Amino acid sequence: MRYLASRTVYMLIILAISSVAVFYAIRLSGGDATAARLPASATEADRETFREILGLNDPIYQQYFTYMGRLLSGDLGNSLTNNALISKMLVEHGRNSLILGVTAFALVFLIGIPLGILASVRRNTFWDGGIMSMSVAGMAIPNFWLALLSIWLFASVLGWLPSAGCCEPKQLILPALVLAAEGTALTVRMTRSAMLENLDSDWVRTLRAGGLSEARVIGKHVFRNALIPIISLAGLRIGQIVGYALIVEVIFGWPGLGQVLVNAVLRRDYPVAQFFSLVLVVMVVLGNWLADLGYLAANPRLRKV
Amino acid sequence: MAGPILSVRDLTTVIRTEGIRFEVVRGVSFDLYPNEILGLVGESGCGKTMTALSLIGLIPAPAAQVTEGAVLFGGQDLVAVSERQMREVRGDDISMIFQDPLTSLDPMFTIGHLLTEVIRRHRTISRSEARALALQALKEVELPDPETRMNQYPHQLSGGMRQRVMIAMALMLDPDILIADEPTTALDVTVQAQILDRLVGQQRRRDVSMLLITHDLGVVAAVADRVAVMYSGEIVEQATVEQLFSDPQHPYTQGLLRALPQSRHQRGALHTIPGRVPPPQFTPPGCLFSPRCSQALLRCWEEHPELVSDGRRDLRCFNPQPLTLA
Repeated sequence: MRYLASRTVYMLIILAISSVAVFYAIRLSGGDATAARLPASATEADRETFREILGLNDPIYQQYFTYMGRLLSGDLGNSLTNNALISKMLVEHGRNSLILGVTAFALVFLIGIPLGILASVRRNTFWDGGIMSMSVAGMAIPNFWLALLSIWLFASVLGWLPSAGCCEPKQLILPALVLAAEGTALTVRMTRSAMLENLDSDWVRTLRAGGLSEARVIGKHVFRNALIPIISLAGLRIGQIVGYALIVEVIFGWPGLGQVLVNAVLRRDYPVAQFFSLVLVVMVVLGNWLADLGYLAANPRLRKV
Repeated sequence: MAGPILSVRDLTTVIRTEGIRFEVVRGVSFDLYPNEILGLVGESGCGKTMTALSLIGLIPAPAAQVTEGAVLFGGQDLVAVSERQMREVRGDDISMIFQDPLTSLDPMFTIGHLLTEVIRRHRTISRSEARALALQALKEVELPDPETRMNQYPHQLSGGMRQRVMIAMALMLDPDILIADEPTTALDVTVQAQILDRLVGQQRRRDVSMLLITHDLGVVAAVADRVAVMYSGEIVEQATVEQLFSDPQHPYTQGLLRALPQSRHQRGALHTIPGRVPPPQFTPPGCLFSPRCSQALLRCWEEHPELVSDGRRDLRCFNPQPLTLA
């Protein structure tokens, strides 16, 4: 329980620090927020008034506390560009992002773990070589490039799948696969090495000496042990997916949080940009916290004796 | 004496790595009789463990393979049977205890889970019956507080307790044969005697024949009925414990006995056998022990001695001499 408590405290500290970082980073990036809302013909005096209304002339720390105060009381604010309610954007686009992200996250493990096990059981064979080569490719190809390649192949040349759009299952396939690619490749490698490491353990010999079948020894015992590193790094996979979603959503025209965030940053829409940056941070940190919980649940040696 | 329960004939195990082929077990033959303890002794790397693993088909395939010989048990040759049949034998008819109890239990499952899984693999009984059987076995090896231990994970137990669990696991199904590979070596000296005592007590109570692998001649003298001495993959001398300790004939056996501290054969500084066991790929053409032997003849360098039995003792030596007190 102490482990759990300390993990939770860490999570809160990281959230506080990153909220400050996000807030400052957007303001330090330069550019004029008034351009988002006011027409190009607006006078400097108009712009100054606008800044004053938004509180942009206050010291940054003061802006931060005002903002966080409102945020914590449930007032997410409005977009500078079209005055849309940010809470409404969160629900709509968040739902789309969740569909894409959860699908990709599930694919990482549904594809990665079986392939990793297959590679370890067929160590140093054609299967192992083939799977590991694909894994190297999966890690080496940047996913924007993979996205473009897959659109070219499956949408343009073969015409099997739509190149973009939302939110039919068919339209989900390509972006989810591209988003999952690197995580899957890493999971394959990790599963394989964790399986091989545990296959060499003394206790494997004990189980065999007890007459258990290879399927039982590998499928139950070795896999159960190999799951620990896989789960403990699941948090990193969440972070990866959240980060890559920005690019993948834009390329596939998937109307999720990533797309909203990219547009907001390009337009200097401060309230939108900083809120959705924070959302991404929360998701990454929460993902890591969940992975810590999973690690705890998976490893009896960490539980309270 | 009744016929042997296990009969090993010319067992040869070969390891192939990177194109090199070498024999780690060379034509080993021995019999194990009902209810006896046969000690298998020798230095590290002499092939004791590989012999044991070859008996129950647990050698690391495909690099290692039994190429010759037979292991006759219960009317079948264990070298020839399928892996599926072998799995029925392992853990039920022949079981094994390993050297390091700290790493020999799966850390992810409770003691009770591990024991009942093996029981239910071999017996069609309910989970609660299996738990009762496991608990009974843990009580018999005098594991303190067995009910609690059943629900604990291996890391919550000490090395000695874990080895008790291993003994319980190996004996709970009343096997015919127990192979104990250095069962006390990894334990604290204070715990070694207790574990050995439990092991032999259980062996007697359950009428199990035991192959006791050890490098510790003290352990062999204390518990074994007969002893086989292995050197470089082959048996060089085999006799009853009384015969072997009172009148060792092979120069290697004599060397081992002289190397014992506080031995009655030893005076002054502790004796050592010069040199070391040759790696299996570089073995001398004649007697395998000849490069380290103080009484080697020319013949010993040229010709490989056979294991010759005089009815009471098996010996592989051209020039046996009575033991001199060095």
